[in-house]
Amino acid sequence: MRIPFTTLISGVLLTGCVSTAIHNDLPQVRELARTSVPDGVVEGEVNASTDSQVLQALRQPVDVDAAVRIALAGNRELRALFREMGIARGRLLQAGVVPNPVVGVEFLPERNSRFELRVEYDITGLILAPASSRAASSEVDAARFRAAAAVVATGLEARADYYSFVAAEQKLAIAQQALDALAAARDAANAMRASGNAAEFTADVQIAAYERARVGVSEAELEVAHRRETLTRLFGIAGGEVIWHSSGSLPEAEHQLSVPDRVETTAIEASFALKEQRAHLEALGRQAGMASTAGWMPEIVADVHALLGHPESTETNSLGDDWRFGAGVDVRLPIFAQNRGMAGALSAEFDAQMERYIGTAVTVRSAAREARNRLVSAHARVRLYADVIVPAQQRVMEQALLQYNAMDLSVFELLNARREQLDVELARVETLAEYWTARAEFESVIAGALVHTREGAR
Amino acid sequence: MDRRSFIQLGGIAAAAALAGKSTEALAQDQAASPNRPARNVASPPAPGGQPAVVTPNGSTLPWRVVNGVKVGHLIAQEVDNEFAPGLRARCWGYNGGTPGPTLEAVEGDRVRIYVTNRLPEPTTVHWHGMILPNGMDGVAGLNQRPIPPGETYVYEFDLRHAGTFMYHSHFDEMTQIALGMVGMFVVHPRAARGPRVAHDFVLMAHEWKIDIGASRPDPLAMNDFNVLTFNGKSFPATEPLVVGRGQRVRIRLGNLGPMDHHPIHIHGLNFKVTATDGGYVPESAQSPQTTVLVPVGSTRVIEFVPEEAGDWAMHCHMTHHIMTQMGHRMTPLVGADTRRLDQRLTRVLPAAMTMGQTGMGTMGAMQMPIPENSVAMRGSPGPFSTIDMGGMFTVLKVRERPTAEDAATWYTYPPGTTVERADAQRMQADGIDTALGPDAGER
Ligand SMILES: [Cu+2]
Repeated sequence: MRIPFTTLISGVLLTGCVSTAIHNDLPQVRELARTSVPDGVVEGEVNASTDSQVLQALRQPVDVDAAVRIALAGNRELRALFREMGIARGRLLQAGVVPNPVVGVEFLPERNSRFELRVEYDITGLILAPASSRAASSEVDAARFRAAAAVVATGLEARADYYSFVAAEQKLAIAQQALDALAAARDAANAMRASGNAAEFTADVQIAAYERARVGVSEAELEVAHRRETLTRLFGIAGGEVIWHSSGSLPEAEHQLSVPDRVETTAIEASFALKEQRAHLEALGRQAGMASTAGWMPEIVADVHALLGHPESTETNSLGDDWRFGAGVDVRLPIFAQNRGMAGALSAEFDAQMERYIGTAVTVRSAAREARNRLVSAHARVRLYADVIVPAQQRVMEQALLQYNAMDLSVFELLNARREQLDVELARVETLAEYWTARAEFESVIAGALVHTREGAR
Repeated sequence: MDRRSFIQLGGIAAAAALAGKSTEALAQDQAASPNRPARNVASPPAPGGQPAVVTPNGSTLPWRVVNGVKVGHLIAQEVDNEFAPGLRARCWGYNGGTPGPTLEAVEGDRVRIYVTNRLPEPTTVHWHGMILPNGMDGVAGLNQRPIPPGETYVYEFDLRHAGTFMYHSHFDEMTQIALGMVGMFVVHPRAARGPRVAHDFVLMAHEWKIDIGASRPDPLAMNDFNVLTFNGKSFPATEPLVVGRGQRVRIRLGNLGPMDHHPIHIHGLNFKVTATDGGYVPESAQSPQTTVLVPVGSTRVIEFVPEEAGDWAMHCHMTHHIMTQMGHRMTPLVGADTRRLDQRLTRVLPAAMTMGQTGMGTMGAMQMPIPENSVAMRGSPGPFSTIDMGGMFTVLKVRERPTAEDAATWYTYPPGTTVERADAQRMQADGIDTALGPDAGER
């Protein structure tokens, strides 16, 4: 019972200290990610119930900005990462601590000296403490970068998932309209059949087509539910009791797309992954340097001792009863153990990390190019839909209606034209979702996140 | 001068009266505007008081007499033809129209006809039904080299026989005939045959496939001809034939359509077929008819004396030939209960309307929006209601005083001679009970 209790006490003491430090880290993370993260995410004890700010926000129709805010406030993985900044903080505190002196007290009843007091101090530890602290502070930087990267990545995920959700809602509405068109064709065929104007075959073909299409609507419904759950998870909503609504359909893309110059350079400069790895490299470099210094440095322990009484005194022969003082130094010579193994291991780890760092730079550049390509392509396609394809299909629909009025098209062909128009609308929504996702990805790359581009929103 | 007198006098005389120019000046005009009606021959061409033929909606080719030879000029060219108000198409024809101008001469004449080809491909002219030297017959490859685009060839021959003939291209026949390279050729007898006629009309039947919204006939069509014409016009664009009650009328029917024969029917009278493009039918072989079948590639001349005044329908009796641009892909819904469908359509396509549940006769009056340059299901106003017919349909207007009549006015019905809603008392007196079952009529 005792040990856990003390551990808890020391733990609480340590946490209190560290959580203050996290509070100090949060503004820096905000600045790095250029995103507002509420203070609440690291406040108080960890609680399983949904964040009250999140619940508040979900009562309004959720737009994309709200989705990002909610995810940043509620996402548990992100909150965990914020808390984990405390780990590095704690290690930093630990690393900066100077060695404690060793105090020895002895009673020597077999001798006349009644009492001996000895204080030893590890001087090498004292010398190495600042270097160790510097290495640990780099890890705090790394943790901050990791958190900032997670903020941007969570924001991106919120946007991408939100676009997918809204697209799924729109696609469901389109699928329902297409089903309605097929139902009209079925009704027409049934009316023809009932009045003797058509064979059973005509009606059966239309009935079958209608029934087949119901599967598509059912799938579209599942897709909406799936996309909603994806967002619900991201939002960190504890219960399924929260029914929230999107604020409407995907906005149309602007006519002109402006892509900044020097995309790769900007991405490299902003990359949190690179910053984090650089900080980690610095920490490793310092640790390696320290290990090698420590290896060559003799381990010096100084001691001071005080003696009450004379060591030669006996009960019959009292040689004195006064205080005597002495001092000494222990030096452990680094002749055999020079910490080479540790230094070598750290040095190898540094080299490995360096390779990864260079590799990450390659990935960041490539990801920047890819994000730009996807954005430019998706924008071009979205505009093609908006400016050319949708109006063209609209004209087809209008002309189909005129041809139908002129009895040159059957009602089935007319409804087919409507379904083709809905197909185009479906493709347009998919492309629009792809565009907004690509745009979010591109902006995240520019903001420093390492983005693995999604395969559109389909 | 109005249209009526134009029809009465015939193209030649009317045009000369209209122009009022010197013969020389007119002759100079002629080359520049070959499609103007005849002007250098001012009197009826036929001896014995035979009236000149009238081509409703058309014209007659002018001749210039040079050393006793009648010289004419046909120009084969693309023409813009209005089939009916709201429907125009680019066709091929002669001298600005399709059919080309009616050629009209007298038995024994020598004619010299220049043919200038302004088409993008070669052409020839075949003188259908005429007996002439083989080298003048106009069959490309067989009897002559085709006339290349931009060139002028000349035909010259004697008109040995009187009769009702035709002319048409005999190169790329399928295309050129389908696009309208046809015309009539009337040769009056030197001495009038049979009873004298007061009116002599020329009507040429043709059929076209002009897809709804298109503006050029489809020369590849073998079926589904959807525009049927007399002299290049579909009703209501067909000019009515105004004749006098009790006067003898001759109508020369020709058919150079691609595929279909036309049973031409006239209401309110009976007639006899007096001639074909093969010659005169002996009186003993003439039988009374109300319908005459005019096969592809032949002419039929009918004569009659109308005894009843009025506006009489004259039309091909194939029902699909009195429709214009009837769409055949419409969903047949006669007798269907479409309430569910209507509800659904209102949601899916608010602008769409279910059609045909009660038949199609009233559609012409609806004037629903249809594609540009099409007249599908467009009726035309009649004196009682919308006339739902189109196509190969015209009106024979039998009047007491035909020369004083405006061809555009409808017949004035004497009181008590029209169909009215049945009077209940009279029905009762006559033992008519509409509440009885379907077999009531037989009791
Ligand atoms: Cu017919």
